[in-house]
Amino acid sequence: MTTIDVEVRGIGKRFPGVVANHDVSLHIRPESVHALIGENGAGKSTLMKILYGVQPADDGEILVDGAPVSFASPTDAIAAGIGMVFQHFMLADNLTVAENIVLGAEKLHGIGDDAKREIREISDRFGFGLDPDTLVERLGVAVRQRVEILKVLYRGARLIILDEPTAVLVPQEVDALFANLRELVTQGRSVLFISHKLDEVRQIADDISVMRRGTTVGTADPKTATKRELAELMVGAELPSPATSESTVTDRPVLRLDGVSVADDTGRDLLHDISLTVHAGEVVGIAGVEGNGQSELVEVVMGMVRAHAGSIHLGEDDITRLSTRAVRDLGVGFVPEDRHRHGLVLDYPLWENRVLGHQTSAPAVRRGLVSRKGARADAQRIIDEFDVRTPGVETSARALSGGNQQKFIVGREMSGSPRLLIASHPTRGVDVGAQAAIWDHIRAARREGLGVLLVSADLDELIGLSDRLEVILRGRLTAQFDPSSVTASDLGEAMTGGEAA
Amino acid sequence: MSPQVSAEVMRARTFRYTWWLAALAVIVVISSVRLYTGADRITAPGTLRAATIGACPILLAGLGGLWAERAGIVNIGLEGQMLLGTWGAAFFAYHYGPLVGVLGAAAMGLLGGLLHAIATVSFGVDHIISGVAINIVGLGAVGFLAKTTFDDLEGGGPRNLSGYSTPPEFTVPLIADGARSLADRHWFIISDVAGAIAGVTTRLSVLTVLAFVLVAVTAWVLWRTSFGLRLRSCGENPQAAETLGINVYRYKYVAVLISGAFAGLGGAYLAMVASSSFTVGQTGGRGYIGLAAMIFGNWRPSGVLTGSLMFGYTDGISLLSNSGTLVHALLLLVAILLAVFAVIKVRAAERTTGLVIAGLSLGAFVWFFSSDTVNASFTGMTPYVVTLFVLAVFSQRLRMPAADGKPYRRGGAG
Repeated sequence: MTTIDVEVRGIGKRFPGVVANHDVSLHIRPESVHALIGENGAGKSTLMKILYGVQPADDGEILVDGAPVSFASPTDAIAAGIGMVFQHFMLADNLTVAENIVLGAEKLHGIGDDAKREIREISDRFGFGLDPDTLVERLGVAVRQRVEILKVLYRGARLIILDEPTAVLVPQEVDALFANLRELVTQGRSVLFISHKLDEVRQIADDISVMRRGTTVGTADPKTATKRELAELMVGAELPSPATSESTVTDRPVLRLDGVSVADDTGRDLLHDISLTVHAGEVVGIAGVEGNGQSELVEVVMGMVRAHAGSIHLGEDDITRLSTRAVRDLGVGFVPEDRHRHGLVLDYPLWENRVLGHQTSAPAVRRGLVSRKGARADAQRIIDEFDVRTPGVETSARALSGGNQQKFIVGREMSGSPRLLIASHPTRGVDVGAQAAIWDHIRAARREGLGVLLVSADLDELIGLSDRLEVILRGRLTAQFDPSSVTASDLGEAMTGGEAA
Repeated sequence: MSPQVSAEVMRARTFRYTWWLAALAVIVVISSVRLYTGADRITAPGTLRAATIGACPILLAGLGGLWAERAGIVNIGLEGQMLLGTWGAAFFAYHYGPLVGVLGAAAMGLLGGLLHAIATVSFGVDHIISGVAINIVGLGAVGFLAKTTFDDLEGGGPRNLSGYSTPPEFTVPLIADGARSLADRHWFIISDVAGAIAGVTTRLSVLTVLAFVLVAVTAWVLWRTSFGLRLRSCGENPQAAETLGINVYRYKYVAVLISGAFAGLGGAYLAMVASSSFTVGQTGGRGYIGLAAMIFGNWRPSGVLTGSLMFGYTDGISLLSNSGTLVHALLLLVAILLAVFAVIKVRAAERTTGLVIAGLSLGAFVWFFSSDTVNASFTGMTPYVVTLFVLAVFSQRLRMPAADGKPYRRGGAG
């Protein structure tokens, strides 16, 4: 038997102080792709963890093929035919594909040649093209995802839960993934697809369930539902759009890179001969698959790594050899890609986080001493202007949701009217409401003459917000696009070097 | 079989071939240095026997460290667990014979491991802090135990014990004598290899055999069984292991217990083979050197073996009498090996590292040619200097288990 029918009825889950799920119900039909959509914090992940036995539910029941089941651990869920692919891949880099797959399921086919044969067999059947002997660290993101899916198939999963599987993929890879999913459904499996990207959901799903504030608020038919209807169900409000209105581009350059190259420890070029100009009032978007030099580009401008060739100018100032501190003091705001590692000290209150990066300038610091009063007042200003949802300036940064943390960082980096804003994935992992707010602020600052270097993996954001798009591939700027005429698929092709993934 | 697979196999074969070639080159250099300096003791059977005896405790500690770290727990408490092992060996061997002595040593080490596991796995204590605490507690406990249990015994004192029986030793017939007579001819290469063979086949303790067998056992269990795969997955990505239904806590516990038992065996070796009596504080930092041998060996059993032999050699010769001229001859060997290494680094486009190593090599040459002997205080330092030095040079290429030393809490997945 390869088909499965899973029904969830009235699931509830409470954490101290929070109701994560209440009265959640959905029905996943056999041989279908069921999409579950909702904003960040709507309770999708909690539901997934309950369905996969990572956490127990407080109320409600799960029915598999009509019979009630209870999962004490993922092992029970696997035994019932439910497998899960996490958003953050659960793979050990230093083990081979085969070792990662057989781990925990050694009893099925051992850990030797039998297991490898079985892996090749499944890989061929669904067109995954995986070699069991490769080390996982050598694989790209899309291939790792296939390893994860194969891992659950190897255990005989009939329902495969995918948590935001497209977040890490470029458009061509998304198409390949969808083809794989279709193949799975054709061969009798079911898929539960979690996402907040409405276009994709309408493209792949057979059924749609919508979650808001911890509960299922409705279902929709992907064939008839419009994007707007789905969005309204999801947020109870209108769908924001990143589109910028009139152009505010001037001919005054704020950032100019001439032939900049950056090498790694072994002398290999991570960035090669980059020349790029950002004008006042202009948003320049950098599109590229992650790991093609975006991080290095941002770091070299910020003075975190040194260029071994070329020069970088901020307005008239040569900043090629300046320290990060000096670059910031010249009027550069920086929204780092990983807010937990670079943007915030999570255990500090918000007002202390306000001081970080501005520890040489008013109002946070006066005469070399931290001004608590000034920092608190300015943190409060950011909270008001950027609509950061927090009890107050004394709250530690950790207690805020991702979207609110990000709004606070953007607000801080725009303090003191910078000339240039470097924004790395400014809305990654941020829900629709906060995303719209951040976009609005970037647009407003741009009208006042701010130059923005925008690095993002969200193509809609890049196309909608940028005045000009540059594509980065293997450390080189390989193509330029006008965002008003480019399509996501053109961009995707340029990002992957023209080869269909 | 896909072409990719055969490419991997080919790469593995080339790698092995290069490795043998490198080993041969090292032997040639050693032999040349011996002939040039006339310090025949470099590869004399007696020296190499001392080296083997010096290597085994380090090897056992290193393997212990390997077990724990492969499961993601840094066991810096090896030193303390070894200390407990020395007391266990003496106490149980005195009362119940050598076999129980060895088992008792392992059990005492295991007890130290249990303490470390409870602290780090169950309570999430920082691994280094727990390990250092175990070392301090181990030393105190052994001092206390020795005073209370050995003071009244015949051959015992408040801090030492002798007169217990030790595991049997044997000499491999024919081979040992044949190799010894070859070694005495001082021929190029042949005598050096024969010296090594004679060194390990003469008055060989069963504990030495056990130590070497455990290298193979460790490699087999960790890389060829599903138990080993699960254990290693806990050191690489415990969250992933958890989502696959593996009880990470259990594997970490088992790994740290085995680690402690290995360290305890290392202690037994010190108290029963390296010496036939027990003294408080007998380990002299060998637990730490075992950890260093493991890091040098890139968290692999064969690497731990290589590292232990090297550290054991320097440890062994520091115990020989009149080792000043011997260490002096070794200076030349070190200088040559460093020079080779410097060339490799420069060719691999790591100029800065290469130049630093070249400078060190030059220093060693100058020292060698400007003196006749090395002061005895320096020879005692040799193993520690070598440890520091080797780690400084090699540590850039190493790959430790990805989640080594990181705290792990159940339910953190997803």
